[in-house]
Amino acid sequence: MLKEIKFALYAIKKNIQSSAELRTSFLMNVFGMMINNTAFIILWIYFIKSVGIIGGWTPADIVGLQGFLALSYGIIFSFGNGIRWLPEYVSSGGFDRFMLSPKNLLSRIATSSFNSSAIGDITFGIICLVVYALLIHTSFYQILVLLLLVIFSTIIFLAFSIVVFSTSFFFVDSGSVTSGFFELFITPSLFHGGAFQGAMRFIFTFILPSLLVGTLPVEAIKDMSILKLSVVGLFSFIWMFISIKVFNKAVKKYESSNFMTFGN
Amino acid sequence: MKSESIIISNLSKKFTFPVKNKSNSWIKNLFKPEIREVVAVNNISFSVKSGERIAFIGPNGAGKSTTIKMLTGILYPTSGKASVLGLDPVKDRKKLAYQIGTVFGQRSQLLPNLPLTDSLEFFGVMYDMTEEQIQSRIIELTKLFELESFIDQPVRKLSLGQRMRAEVAASLIHKPKIILLDEPTIGLDVVAKKTLRDLLLKINKEEGTTIFLTSHDVGDIESLCDRTIIINHGIVIKDMPTEDLSTSFIFEKYIDLIPMTRFESFHELPEGMKYVLKGANKITITVDSNKISVQKSLKKLLEIFEVEDIDVYNADLETVIRHIYERN
Repeated sequence: MLKEIKFALYAIKKNIQSSAELRTSFLMNVFGMMINNTAFIILWIYFIKSVGIIGGWTPADIVGLQGFLALSYGIIFSFGNGIRWLPEYVSSGGFDRFMLSPKNLLSRIATSSFNSSAIGDITFGIICLVVYALLIHTSFYQILVLLLLVIFSTIIFLAFSIVVFSTSFFFVDSGSVTSGFFELFITPSLFHGGAFQGAMRFIFTFILPSLLVGTLPVEAIKDMSILKLSVVGLFSFIWMFISIKVFNKAVKKYESSNFMTFGN
Repeated sequence: MKSESIIISNLSKKFTFPVKNKSNSWIKNLFKPEIREVVAVNNISFSVKSGERIAFIGPNGAGKSTTIKMLTGILYPTSGKASVLGLDPVKDRKKLAYQIGTVFGQRSQLLPNLPLTDSLEFFGVMYDMTEEQIQSRIIELTKLFELESFIDQPVRKLSLGQRMRAEVAASLIHKPKIILLDEPTIGLDVVAKKTLRDLLLKINKEEGTTIFLTSHDVGDIESLCDRTIIINHGIVIKDMPTEDLSTSFIFEKYIDLIPMTRFESFHELPEGMKYVLKGANKITITVDSNKISVQKSLKKLLEIFEVEDIDVYNADLETVIRHIYERN
């Protein structure tokens, strides 16, 4: 286990070095993504100022929601960006080199690529969560809950990504299918949490985990809800378990191919 | 006595894929396509002793790469068994990876943006080697593969020949017992090919590494491999020492004729003799010694043509291999 973690960290370090070799695009990616996220949050704050509070959600909650999403998204798609490349690896046969590695397959794939623009998301996510904590005057207990929820939210993000991108083993040209599924998950998660009530809330919590990565964590903190914290925690384990099972089953479908590729 | 490195018994691999049936509507083709099955490897069995140098050859689509991929655990066999160094490549894939090296000529395993040293270190860490072990092995491989002049260059800036040397060096970082190479000399010039073959021979001699390679290049087979296994349509059709392979078509002789002046006309030849080349300055004829003796054919040729020089020789290995492929 220790050797696996040591190698995963080493692979991440090499990926960052490799990405930083192309300095200009690295810096442009990081700042570009921060500007993009800021524009998005300004849009939502103006929206709330115009229409007022919906479902108990204030502008501060929107900042918190964006913080959770940007941070978990950033962590997964910076350090574990290889997951997003899974359809490409599978269709090109580039997946072969991971099968030849003596390390854990999932960890090896996840750490095979680094996305510098996601560093912008991480920075933005941290800033948003600090601002959120200041706006709602969080207690020490709430800060601990917030940190725990960031971990849960990141696990759910990773697990759902593994499930979605694992479908690439079952389809020949899976790129559009996986990106369609991923959009279906991510789009509702970016929305104003107050807009989801009744059946919609049920679907986007228990069937698709969109609200588990941002909306429920924000509500768990502001309502000091143990129930919501437990739901997010429990589902992070359930999703992780499902994702490992799905991935291991999907790998058996791998048929390789002989397209020319350049690895990392 | 040498132990068996690889044992394959009744190994098969089938692939299935949907095909469009032109007589069906496109809706039926979309939702209920016909499924076609392709047998890529069909019930093959052979074994390889440690330290052997095996050429595993066959035409495109013969099942070479599929077999290598089953031996390394990349693909799951449909039926049959494979054992590599006593391990099951499917069940013990990670354990096996510590003991084998792989090179795919069409696919790089190196880190493209970083210097070659980083790739070598990366593989060393991946195989749980200590920092001292990695550094001493890098020094060894740098000397052996003459990597000094480009070891600090980013991999994407290396020439194809340099990159292939680097690929092989990286695959040997953990001193594997077997190295499996899938078309390692593809796209290389003659000098780079020779360098790579010499290096592989060297590691076979010095480190006792078993070499199992697929190639379309006869030079790789002739100069590197002591045994050749030929596969076609997923079936092993020949398995013999490489030197015996070139004599397996010994009944077919080649005769070159050089004219006194110029060859003007090309007469019809008796049964068993065929023109391969009809030139004013050179004629090449094949003789099937099962149908006509070499002596008779030479006599006949000397009756027809005025020649300055004659050369009689056996088919080269490339021709032999082509014949074997064509017969199957």
